[in-house]
Amino acid sequence: MNAIEIRNLTKNFGQKQALQGLNMTVPQGAIYGFIGENGSGKSTTEKIICGLIQPSGGSVKLFGRDYKDADVRAKVGVLIEAPGCFPNYSVWNNMMLQAANLGIENAEEEVRKVLRVVHMEGSASNKYKNCSLGMKQRIGIAFALLGNPTLLILDEPINGLDADGMRIMREVLTDVTKNYNCTVVISSHILGELEKIATHYGIVRGGKMIAEMTAEELNANCRTYVELKAKDMAATKAVLERKYTRVETDEEEYIRIYDGVKAEEVVDYMYNELRIAVTEIKTSKIGLEEYYIDLMKEGR
Amino acid sequence: MENTVKLQFEQPSFFKRLKGMLSVDFYRLFHTPLFYIFLGIAAIIPALVSMGAMGGGAEGAPTEATAMFTNAWQIIAAKSPLYVINDMGDYANMNMVFICGGIMISIFIGHDYKSGYVKQLFTTHAKKQDYMMSKTMLGAFSMACMCITYLIGGMISAAGTGLPFTVDAGSLICAILGKMIMSLGWASLYTFINVIFRSKFGISIALCFVLGTGIPVIGAAAVIGNSAALNVFLYGSSVYACLSANFVSVIVCLTVSVAWAVIYNILGSWILSKRDCY
Repeated sequence: MNAIEIRNLTKNFGQKQALQGLNMTVPQGAIYGFIGENGSGKSTTEKIICGLIQPSGGSVKLFGRDYKDADVRAKVGVLIEAPGCFPNYSVWNNMMLQAANLGIENAEEEVRKVLRVVHMEGSASNKYKNCSLGMKQRIGIAFALLGNPTLLILDEPINGLDADGMRIMREVLTDVTKNYNCTVVISSHILGELEKIATHYGIVRGGKMIAEMTAEELNANCRTYVELKAKDMAATKAVLERKYTRVETDEEEYIRIYDGVKAEEVVDYMYNELRIAVTEIKTSKIGLEEYYIDLMKEGR
Repeated sequence: MENTVKLQFEQPSFFKRLKGMLSVDFYRLFHTPLFYIFLGIAAIIPALVSMGAMGGGAEGAPTEATAMFTNAWQIIAAKSPLYVINDMGDYANMNMVFICGGIMISIFIGHDYKSGYVKQLFTTHAKKQDYMMSKTMLGAFSMACMCITYLIGGMISAAGTGLPFTVDAGSLICAILGKMIMSLGWASLYTFINVIFRSKFGISIALCFVLGTGIPVIGAAAVIGNSAALNVFLYGSSVYACLSANFVSVIVCLTVSVAWAVIYNILGSWILSKRDCY
């Protein structure tokens, strides 16, 4: 059973089509990195999953059930933008109010536990309005963790976090997925950080899902390339372009072949078939950020 | 990555959900100055009304304005159910609490949206009807409390007017009870208005104020006359709870108040479920 299954999701804001038949599948237990440019439909999708906005069409299922079911909703923890806290109340009181709304019986113990998880137990008596942006983000995570959710929807949760805050976030998310079988959907523009924790990725553009893959698939298929140097670079590139579909020259004047080939194959091909000597060759991997930028370029 | 386990889903009961939401709302009510400020305002209104009735008390002698009231209890309720307003004496009574109540509820709900509480709430198992009911009950309680402080303020102010306190105690109790019961219907109307206008709470306040004054019913009464049919409206029934009220008046107030509360709660829940909350 998938934690989230979205089919043909559409959402119109007046004339503007924010989502255009988006499909999304999030397996149970995954940390799903939800990536896309500003205005691509990430937040709209997340808000629909959270029940904050109504879809214009399509279906959303959480754990195989309708996403509006109260019993399913009780299992979802959410951080959309900032937590909905009363600024004049202390962090503790805000947490206790949320615990009351969730009907948590041993509220004090539970609040203490989640505050400890996000390293905020020492700031519980602070008024929410006096908390820094990073602290507010941690409080938001604590809000989302209240009531032992099995699905966490986090919209830009690492924005404003310092290095320590990001480390805590990584630890928390890894812990809840490993030990509590929690599924996490996390959208972020800080791809380097996302790369450290995500097990699955969904890339959205123009209100449509353009790619969904596991971290392994991303590693294996999309992110390796061979880069080389030869004596006559222009001629070499022209020759390689005849055999491989994606050959580019990078800023350091290396020729890059993205077709998932092995370095030995390229060397063999060039020497045996073309008699061109390769002076330098290596296999490299692009980061998520570079891959994402490439993917976005392809669509333009 | 298929470490799927069997999940247990538990449907939170209606009472559990409502209890949680009410406990949050009442905690907020008692821990913000807003409620106490409005209780104070409700207590001060009768003093302002009686000052008006005494013509400001400048010369110490009764003026034309004194004719507004012939009995001290008219600060609490009108002598008879008059929907057509002839002078301020027919109008200036406990019904003014409902105007204050509208403003208070608008500020309270406006803060729900401004703080992001509504966003946080609707991502959980909370249902839209729970929200409508919780705010209605909170508003009804607040306005009933304001009725009490108005009553206390009214008694103190009336003592200063020198007007007689003679009244049929039963009718007075029925009038006060009737008006307190009407708080429920008014609270549901105000909650409904705030749900429609959401964070645009300036519009909500203005509309709550206009409807709270009873102007539409007063206008209708000016056209159709002092008809008992106007009792089907919240303002009509609020006026009906007057110093000649009896047990039937209380029943009328109860029926009208509950009926409108149900209507507005159903409509409000439907609107909330059909439109984006955030």
